[in-house]
Amino acid sequence: METILLFLSSLLVCVAAVADPSAQDGKETVENPFIYDYESLRIGGLVLAVVLFTLGILLILSRRCRCSINQKLRPPGDEEAQDENQIVSTATPAVKETPAEN
Amino acid sequence: MGDKDDRSPKKKKGAKDMDDLKKEVPITEHKMSIEEVCRKFQTDIVQGLTNAKAAEYLIRDGPNALTPPPTTPEWVKFCRQLFGGFSILLWTGAILCFLAYAIQAATEDDPAGDNLYLGIVLTAVVVITGCFSYFQEAKSSKIMESFKNMVPQQALVIREGEKVQINAEEVVGGDLVEVKGGDRIPADIRVVSAHGCKVDNSSLTGESEPQSRSPDCTHDNPLETRNVAFFSTNCVEGTARGIVICTGDRTVMGRIATLTSGLETGKTPIAKEIEHFIHIITGVAVFLGVTFFILAIILGYSWLEAVIFLIGIIVANVPEGLLATVTVCLTLTAKRMAKKNCLVKNLEAVETLGSTSTICSDKTGTLTQNRMTVAHMWFDNQIHEADTTEDQSGASFDKTSATWQALSRVAGLCNRAQFKAGQDALPILKRDVAGDASESALLKCIELSCGSVRAMRDRNKKVAEIPFNSTNKYQLSVHETEDTNDNRYLLVMKGAPERILDRCSTILVQGKEQPMDEELKESFQNAYMELGGLGERVLGFCHMMLPEDQYPKGFAFDTDDVNFQTDNLCFVGLMSMIDPPRAAVPDAVGKCRSAGIKVIMVTGDHPITAKAIAKGVGIISEGNETVEDIAARLNIPVSQVNPRDAKACVIHGTDLKDLSQDQMDDILRNHTEIVFARTSPQQKLIIVEGCQRLGAIVAVTGDGVNDSPALKKADIGVAMGISGSDVSKQAADMILLDDNFASIVTGVEEGRLIFDNLKKSIAYTLTSNIPEITPFLLFIIVNIPLPLGTITILCIDLGTDMVPAISLAYETAESDIMKRQPRNPFRDKLVNERLISIAYGQIGMIQALGGFFAYFVILAENGFLPSRLVGIRLNWDDRSVNDLEDSYGQQWTYEQRKIVEFTCHTAFFVSIVVVQWADVIICKTRRNSVFQQGMRNKILIFGLFEETALAAFLSYCPGMDVALRMYPLKPSWWFCAFPYSFLIFVYDEVRKLLLRRNPGGWVERETYY
Repeated sequence: METILLFLSSLLVCVAAVADPSAQDGKETVENPFIYDYESLRIGGLVLAVVLFTLGILLILSRRCRCSINQKLRPPGDEEAQDENQIVSTATPAVKETPAEN
Repeated sequence: MGDKDDRSPKKKKGAKDMDDLKKEVPITEHKMSIEEVCRKFQTDIVQGLTNAKAAEYLIRDGPNALTPPPTTPEWVKFCRQLFGGFSILLWTGAILCFLAYAIQAATEDDPAGDNLYLGIVLTAVVVITGCFSYFQEAKSSKIMESFKNMVPQQALVIREGEKVQINAEEVVGGDLVEVKGGDRIPADIRVVSAHGCKVDNSSLTGESEPQSRSPDCTHDNPLETRNVAFFSTNCVEGTARGIVICTGDRTVMGRIATLTSGLETGKTPIAKEIEHFIHIITGVAVFLGVTFFILAIILGYSWLEAVIFLIGIIVANVPEGLLATVTVCLTLTAKRMAKKNCLVKNLEAVETLGSTSTICSDKTGTLTQNRMTVAHMWFDNQIHEADTTEDQSGASFDKTSATWQALSRVAGLCNRAQFKAGQDALPILKRDVAGDASESALLKCIELSCGSVRAMRDRNKKVAEIPFNSTNKYQLSVHETEDTNDNRYLLVMKGAPERILDRCSTILVQGKEQPMDEELKESFQNAYMELGGLGERVLGFCHMMLPEDQYPKGFAFDTDDVNFQTDNLCFVGLMSMIDPPRAAVPDAVGKCRSAGIKVIMVTGDHPITAKAIAKGVGIISEGNETVEDIAARLNIPVSQVNPRDAKACVIHGTDLKDLSQDQMDDILRNHTEIVFARTSPQQKLIIVEGCQRLGAIVAVTGDGVNDSPALKKADIGVAMGISGSDVSKQAADMILLDDNFASIVTGVEEGRLIFDNLKKSIAYTLTSNIPEITPFLLFIIVNIPLPLGTITILCIDLGTDMVPAISLAYETAESDIMKRQPRNPFRDKLVNERLISIAYGQIGMIQALGGFFAYFVILAENGFLPSRLVGIRLNWDDRSVNDLEDSYGQQWTYEQRKIVEFTCHTAFFVSIVVVQWADVIICKTRRNSVFQQGMRNKILIFGLFEETALAAFLSYCPGMDVALRMYPLKPSWWFCAFPYSFLIFVYDEVRKLLLRRNPGGWVERETYY
């Protein structure tokens, strides 16, 4: 979790760092602040949006994956344990009468 | 029963009918002789009705079927979703918008389209959310439909002397019908002859044991008498013939069903909370609107302009996204609960269990398994406990004793129940058994502990048998012995313990026969009393090896004229049976207790059984005594005991009838552990109403038809999905798909969690209202160019704020929510003044500062210093002014000015997104620090990423300047609001720290929402 946050903040700093010199360049070349390099700004902004969006989606997807992996790794997880019991009870009903509730 | 005062007076006739239905059943036929009944229905006891007569009655009385409850038409349901609760607020907003646009269109040449768009968007939001929740509910009602049993019932009637099989719907009053084991009774019938007939009334009266039926009237109360069998109960065994006395809705079952569907239910707690919330929001909106209306008038605006402002302010207070947020949050919880086998029929009912302060639970089938099971045995002068758990995980007893061998042999042989064929693959407890409930219990018990009973019976061939009857009160059979060299016969007998004991002269102890002395007799009596006191049905067992000299091989045993010895037998032991509690119930009851929920048992069963089960599951906790217990302990009459001393009480249905409303309230208020036994469906309803009168939010759980009026009347009715009757499922709001009472605990937990989380969502959503309104207010008051436009407001409310607000529904609980008391519906509101004060007065204000900072920074960078802006509005918005000078004397055309203005809107919007980051993080908790809570909520982080991505997209996507008038922002402008975001975080952390440090202090009283 923290790594992702770190990544996000470093990304923001990067974008700011990339964008700022370009702004200064713009000011050096063009005196008039109304004419601004909006083209690269737009591209930078859109790239940021896309990166954030994908990060978000990845986060959601990773949640699913990580959970399922965790569940498989965790030996006496609640749901897992129940499942196992059911399997045992259906597989060997004749040997050991362990039916679930009726 | 005096509770007519809460009926609505508007439907006089309806109310009268309801009161009538609430009274006890008016059947009198059970007291008449058979001839009188025949005369009444003009039928014949042998020939039955004539076909002509039957047809005539059918036309007169209608078909023998329950009128289905009036279903609300789909469009009404849809409209309810469209116009119910929260939607009203948005509709009002939309109408006001259209009104404002109409005024503008009528007065101005070129009206701004903002109000029109806003109105359209509001309408769209309501309609879309309405459709969404409509389809959500339609989905669960579809699952409901699947429960319906579509198989038409058949009935065997005798008409004109011939037996005919007809549809149960065509049965009419006076018909002579025949039922046999396994049939469903087609109507209410007066039994005229019966052979070992037993009916299972559990769904009607809650009695777990099958009741025998005979032609004699045994009780004044039609529900108790033996000679009436009721519609839609099951005949378990034997055969009976009877005259139909009631059909369709006039049957006892029909009356209950009609009573149920006629009940009006109140609003759900969450609906009440939302109503309260709407009141607060409307209050704030109108207050703000009117204040600024007056201000605008004073400042010299025209009347029409002031009205437009008024409407604008009121509409700006409407949280556009909240309806969708609340709906989605409830849906998510409903889904989560469905995954845990709680199906919720109505979205709003999701939260109700969380507010519940009293649970009235039925016993049979809800708390118990609704199957008789051997619970205890007494042999070798000792009580042994059998395993009653559903999965055979309980303790076992010593099976090595020779007495147990003998006892199991008697129980297995002297038993007519047998497993139905073709079930070898099933676990023993799940197999179907043909036979009496207690015999099946014995059969299953022996099969479990000693192996195949069939093999045992094959080894010991049955020679003769006397079945159980009520005069003998015993059952006996004679068998050959296993040992082929042994030519003696084995006589086994079971029956009522005292009768069995009378026939015994010896007793088996540790496998050895000993003479029955006084000491052993007393020990038997004690064991019998103890087991009986546990509410268990006790059977005694004895056996005897018949001497070979008197009964040689091939002896002809005559069971009609008993020609063999049936006394001086050898007593073997006792076995007692009960309908045992479900495994998960005691734990669940304990959890409800610790969550401050009062659990009341309301059952149709007998008080002793009810009390035993109540003690078993913890409804009457250990060490708590009833008035009767105290009286017995102190050896004083019941009347001398101070009822205040007893925390627990068991109340009989007949006593309940005589209680006044005040006495009833007194009982409900002063006893924490209450069991109502022998209650009729009407009384269950009265109990629920009593609890509600005391201000409790009542949940009712039940599976039978007799529970359904109470289920309907309760704030939330919980029915059982597998064993529950159709009527009860219809009446309930929630269905436990796995019949597991423990799921109720899940429901309570989820309900409480969603209530807390909704508070957080609402706090989060409302906060951004302030930075959205203040720009408009300043626009009016100090005449600056508009800092935030309608479109950007909508982008926040319906765009960036949505995912974070919904993600708060995934927030985990801050503390153990099952350890605190249920909320008090009068005091603990969903939205209170403190929440509004935090959201609007504190965090919202900081947010507004952040937004304005960005606004002023951008305008200043463009040359308009704040001092120049004040009062500039009229010139700024004037199309004809194309040479407006800024602070540095630069001239601006209208179009240039507007681009700067809309860039400011975008910056304001982005600033709100930035401060909402901090807001969503502080809204995660209400008391704990974020550092305690952690950032484990992935959806919330996803929400943060998505709202930022959306904000960047809206700002930078080419074409947005045309479509939404949003312009790209220089990177530095994004950071304007950062300090404010940080301030919000620190401010709230400090507030929460103070709140935790001084519990009950000023900070908590004033700011804990």
